[in-house]
Amino acid sequence: MRSFLGALFEYIRASFSHYIAQPTTKFINRLVERLDTWARQETARALSDENEAPEVTAKRMGSVIIRSIPFMRPMFIHILAIFLFGMFLTFLFTFTGILSSDLWDNKMMVNDKLQPAQAFVLFVDKTYLREEFLDEQELQEVKALGFEGNKLTNDQRKTIRNRMLVWFFVGDIFGIILAFLLRYYPAWVWQNVNHYLRVAMVEKLEYLSLSFHHTNRSGDAIYRIYQDSSMVVNVLDEVVVGPLNDIRDLFIAFLFVFAFDPILGVVCLLSFIPMAVITAYATPIIRRLAVRNRVTNSNLTSRIQETFAALKVVKANNAESIVVDRFDVDAHKALDAALYVRFGMVALSFIVAIIGGLVVIGLEYLLLTWVLEERETNVPGWAVVFVGLMVWNLAAFNSANGRVGQVVGTGRGFVRLWCMLQDLFIGLERAFYFLDLEPKVFDPDDPLEFPEHIDSVAWDDVHFQYDDGTQVLNGVNLSAEAGKITAIVGVTGSGKSTLMSLLLRLYDPSSGSVTINDTDIREFRIDDIRSNHAIAMQKNVLFTGKVTDNVAFGLEDVEFDKVKQACEIACADEFITALNEGYDTNLGERGAKLSAGQRQRLTIARAVIRDTPILILDEPTASLDAKTEHRVLENLSEWGRDKIVFLITHRLSTIRNADNIAFLEDGKVAESGSHEELLELAQGRYRRFVEAEEVGLVDSQVR
Amino acid sequence: MIREFIQRRKVDQTTDTTQQDHTIISGFKAGAQFDDRLDIESEISHLESMKIVLRGFKWLKYVKALFITRWAMRTVIIIPGLFLGWFAKIVIDHVILQVPLVADDVNFPPHMYWLLEILEGREPLNIALILLTIYVFGLVLIGTRAGGTGAGLYTGRDAASSAENAVSGGQGGAFTGSEAGGIWGITEWWISVRLSQRYINRLRTDLFKRLVRAPMTRIDDQAVGDSLYRTLYDTPMVFTNITETVFSPFFTFVGLGLTFYQLWWTYAEVSMAIVGLMALMIPITIFTTIAPSRWIRRMTQNQRAAGAATTNTLEETMNNISAVQSLGAMKTEKERFAKRSAHAFWRARISMFPWLGVGIILQIVGWPLAFYLAWHVTNLVIDGQLTVGDFGALFGMYMGLQGTFQGLGRLWLNIQDQAAAARRVFFFMDLVADDEEHKPGNELGTITEGVEIENVGFQYPNGFVALRDINLQLNIGEVVALIGPTGCGKTSLAYLLPAFLKPTTGRVLVDGFDVMDIDLASLRKQTSYIFQEHFLLSESIRSNLNLANPDATEADMLRALEAASCMEFIRELPDGIDTVLGRSGDTLSVGQQQRLSIARGLVRDARIIVLDEPTAALDPQTESVLVRSLRSEAGDRLVVVIAHRLSTIRQADKIVFLDEGEIKEVGSHDELMSHEDGPYREFVNLQSSTQAA
Ligand SMILES: Nc1ncnc2c1ncn2[C@@H]1O[C@H](COP(=O)(O)OP(=O)(O)OP(=O)(O)O)[C@@H](O)[C@H]1O
Ligand SMILES: Nc1ncnc2c1ncn2[C@@H]1O[C@H](COP(=O)(O)OP(=O)(O)OP(=O)(O)O)[C@@H](O)[C@H]1O
Ligand SMILES: [Mg+2]
Ligand SMILES: [Mg+2]
Repeated sequence: MRSFLGALFEYIRASFSHYIAQPTTKFINRLVERLDTWARQETARALSDENEAPEVTAKRMGSVIIRSIPFMRPMFIHILAIFLFGMFLTFLFTFTGILSSDLWDNKMMVNDKLQPAQAFVLFVDKTYLREEFLDEQELQEVKALGFEGNKLTNDQRKTIRNRMLVWFFVGDIFGIILAFLLRYYPAWVWQNVNHYLRVAMVEKLEYLSLSFHHTNRSGDAIYRIYQDSSMVVNVLDEVVVGPLNDIRDLFIAFLFVFAFDPILGVVCLLSFIPMAVITAYATPIIRRLAVRNRVTNSNLTSRIQETFAALKVVKANNAESIVVDRFDVDAHKALDAALYVRFGMVALSFIVAIIGGLVVIGLEYLLLTWVLEERETNVPGWAVVFVGLMVWNLAAFNSANGRVGQVVGTGRGFVRLWCMLQDLFIGLERAFYFLDLEPKVFDPDDPLEFPEHIDSVAWDDVHFQYDDGTQVLNGVNLSAEAGKITAIVGVTGSGKSTLMSLLLRLYDPSSGSVTINDTDIREFRIDDIRSNHAIAMQKNVLFTGKVTDNVAFGLEDVEFDKVKQACEIACADEFITALNEGYDTNLGERGAKLSAGQRQRLTIARAVIRDTPILILDEPTASLDAKTEHRVLENLSEWGRDKIVFLITHRLSTIRNADNIAFLEDGKVAESGSHEELLELAQGRYRRFVEAEEVGLVDSQVR
Repeated sequence: MIREFIQRRKVDQTTDTTQQDHTIISGFKAGAQFDDRLDIESEISHLESMKIVLRGFKWLKYVKALFITRWAMRTVIIIPGLFLGWFAKIVIDHVILQVPLVADDVNFPPHMYWLLEILEGREPLNIALILLTIYVFGLVLIGTRAGGTGAGLYTGRDAASSAENAVSGGQGGAFTGSEAGGIWGITEWWISVRLSQRYINRLRTDLFKRLVRAPMTRIDDQAVGDSLYRTLYDTPMVFTNITETVFSPFFTFVGLGLTFYQLWWTYAEVSMAIVGLMALMIPITIFTTIAPSRWIRRMTQNQRAAGAATTNTLEETMNNISAVQSLGAMKTEKERFAKRSAHAFWRARISMFPWLGVGIILQIVGWPLAFYLAWHVTNLVIDGQLTVGDFGALFGMYMGLQGTFQGLGRLWLNIQDQAAAARRVFFFMDLVADDEEHKPGNELGTITEGVEIENVGFQYPNGFVALRDINLQLNIGEVVALIGPTGCGKTSLAYLLPAFLKPTTGRVLVDGFDVMDIDLASLRKQTSYIFQEHFLLSESIRSNLNLANPDATEADMLRALEAASCMEFIRELPDGIDTVLGRSGDTLSVGQQQRLSIARGLVRDARIIVLDEPTAALDPQTESVLVRSLRSEAGDRLVVVIAHRLSTIRQADKIVFLDEGEIKEVGSHDELMSHEDGPYREFVNLQSSTQAA
């Protein structure tokens, strides 16, 4: 028996999946794909300009809806389930409602015997049943017990009452739990949808080029990911299902109104015209206000974020009151914008309400005159079987008046919904804006395998300029080989760090190429490139968290020994072990609990642990004292013996360790060679640089 | 093409908000850990939660007028409600059914009498006309038959996204916005939005000020994202809390009173009993919800802490995106965010559970009352003493009242929920601010003598002793060099001068006054600290300089920029000094950023200037020239340089050699060089040898 059921179930499941689920999914996939392309063109526009008043097109609204679908699709089954579950419950409640009100009002209260189903749910015997449901024999039995006729005894009524009260109790508890499920389950579904969108946005941001990030404030990203993206949870309910329900109700209400008298219907319809005209006029304004609201609020977020991120500077400059003032300005802008966009909506509602209200009141007067005239309604003759509304009387007045109110009310509701949707669309467009951004640096279509061994790295006539037009590199030619340390020297702002970011493909050169083993690095996958480089950056960026987390930042499953080893090489182990909790010490916000030199050594350890063929050290020893610096460099040159090492530095003592020195000036490698070779150039720039560095030293030795 | 397409549209489902490693029960427990380092004791008692509620009232003093106006308007607008119901009755009875209207005959409450007198004896259509005219006026004035005024926007399914509505929503219904429409409604709505905005903004500003003035050692423990979360998303709950404690009960009771007043004319005897019975619901509800109220507080706290932790991750990644990308940590950072975001959503979701419990409990507790009523009244019906209609009317009344009273009981729980969020705000309000540890108002005059450090020891809050037994005299007019190996406490020592750090033992005297006894602002105004690691704001260069000195003239700025060798690159910039910098200054080279922050330190005319390792940014000549000019330009300054370069150190009148938090040697270059085997001499020799080698 059981195996049969199992087989049956399996058969149903399989055929469901084969005939229904799979084709549906396929169909939806294809549809979404097509619509998605179309939608993408529409929302690609930047919405970061607060003066732009995006025009209202159905196409654009549609595109936002369609673009939300991919995020809902993983939850598709659940959304469907919620819908079906809701429908089932509506039926259940209607049914039990009818059953119980019949039981209570018609049976228990007025003393009538029960239908079989009612007797069944109350677990009562035959004596409670209406006679027409009993066969001869049962009838005799009931009679014998003295419960004749179709009336209940008072005791029986009380029994019914008691049992029903128990049922009510059970039903209430059950109802609470169901109501909870009906809130919890959708919460789970929509949170997931929002979560997918958030993660997609963050993922995009992580990969967007730095040139984007330099001009986009962090607070804006936070706002878009938190606030704008959250709108996605409303798309289905508010944009699709809600209006559909409204339209259905409106349609039915209209039918009734027309049935009572076409005049009523026509007047209602006419009243929609001014409502629509005014709304059409107001919409662009409301949209603009909504954009402004979101932009100013995102600016406020940025302001707060930036202030807290630079709190030390504020302190050092006694600038507390200045930043509070700046906060205040932004806060007021945001609050005003929030008020005005809503005021736009409220004002529009007000006008529409007056139009609607006048129509309702006017029609009420008309109806009253009709009632007093005893005029005939327009209700078709056959309907008399159901309702007695052929002449205007109280009941007709009540129903017609109610329907008119409903029609006009729904019209107003639409206007309100429309306004809220404007904001919703703006929010979503702002969220999708991130997804539409294309990184300037991207993977090639057919990436090459990254070479096992890197023998050389070269810059070949590289030109580069930043987005703002500053020409930084002007034909750099430079090459480095495995096993060599290449030092890059130059005055501040000469483009040393830029040169290295080209190697990491943080940017691409505007002309020329950067090559690894003579292959343009644009042929490789970005992830491959970056995972073959280790860099100790010029700014010591640490993250909140433990020492180990910081050293192993961005790596997965790193053994502790490796961390320790890396720290030893970077001479960091000595101070880490002295910390309270050693490697598990929390470093505070952005590593604030260490001295600058300690932080610097951690960033070096972070580069070392990656153990990649290319190592870039950008001013690795700026905050170290001579002794420590010496030890760190010693360790590094020992450890990096067969690697390609780039060393950017101002310090002579550091430069000495290099096999090859490149002096960068005016965007070109002006001189290159070993320390000794460069010093021999009589008017050499490197030589001048070295002399300048030695001034202090010479000074002190003369004495 | 197609492949790219599919790739693009594929949604990352590796995490969703289901939490495999957490059970729902674990959500009820205290002690969940998030990012917080300072605010770790988040459990509060019932009493504390009440105190928090009361505390919110303090801010009402800034919005008194708005608050009272709002209250008055909300109260006045109840009055029309007393009439409208009767209007409908008149229309039906006396217009449609054409019953002649005789004022004394029918059951009307007294406040209707004046109207009845006007209407008495008129034609039905005439009556209708009068009433409808009133309707039209009412429509424009108070939105009769058009509903209330409110303008909430859509929100998401987490606490952060509903914050904005709480500030500016003014939704109808829940005691924000207006119950009325029309002109009255718009006005009241405007006032109510302004009220909540002003209140919340005031609170935000106060919190912001507090956070900005947090002591240096606290800043190290406070995450930026968390501060952001509290300022923006937690503060609105304090106001919601106020409306819940003030408006909700007040207007519920007023509404009840009015219903009762109208009932009095119909069911006088029974209504009293029912209301009395129902009033029992309030204490019962509160009593039975004590336990859930603890869970609610806890879960709200956790939900918000988890939200803040998500913000932290996001903020940290965004702010340091170049590090993330250079280190190829994009994927792991995304996963970190995803995990936290999912967890925050989960926390938000499971905070529904206590409410389920509450619903069930209330049902169980309220049941005997309902049961008793139904049982008793039906008995009467069955025994033929009451009619079926009476039962309907009475039971309907019971249900309505039960809802109201349970609602009032539930209010307690709402308040708990909001108090938990409010606690997060007040926690930081309570932290001692930097300047409060000093003596505000005790202004320090222009510094003329210098700083004396007496037996100072300093221990960081984590227990690390960074300075021991420091005795040092630093005079105005001197250049002092602080040197020593990395991590020896140079920065910590220098931090004592602007009182960034306050000595744990000993005293720091400025012009003979203990820094703890003077007004902090008056000291900070006269000191300028140039940090070892710079921070720039992503604003224009000018505005970055203005931060340090709002009154700086163009000439002052140019002088400072020149002195820090900034002009050579600023001249190249398209907008010169008005160029807007990228995120945290990153559109400049790091050296340029450092120079700019040095310029920022110089643009203030400070008595005490501390340069914490300017070496990396400046070439040797510039550094020497800068230090020399700082001293010579005005002899009334104290310049403290933390430096490794001999050329700079040699400029100093006094060299302080630190090691392991202790002063090893103090003196001029020549004095110290004369100590055979002195640590300074060794330091110089090492420096020379590594450089010469
Ligand atoms: N906020 C803090 N909490 C705990 N310990 C700290 C904190 N800040 C610094 N320390 C510790 O205090 C010691 C001295 O730090 P300090 O920043 O004063 O060193 P420093 O001499 O300036 O070093 P560097 O030359 O590397 O800048 C270090 O060991 C450091 O780990
Ligand atoms: N994101 C950016 N956008 C525009 N200009 C930039 C950006 N980053 C750097 N620059 C400019 O490019 C030039 C080279 O900068 P880079 O950071 O490469 O200098 P650097 O040689 O590393 O200098 P430093 O020694 O100070 O670190 C500088 O003039 C700088 O102002
Ligand atoms: Mg650089
Ligand atoms: Mg330091």
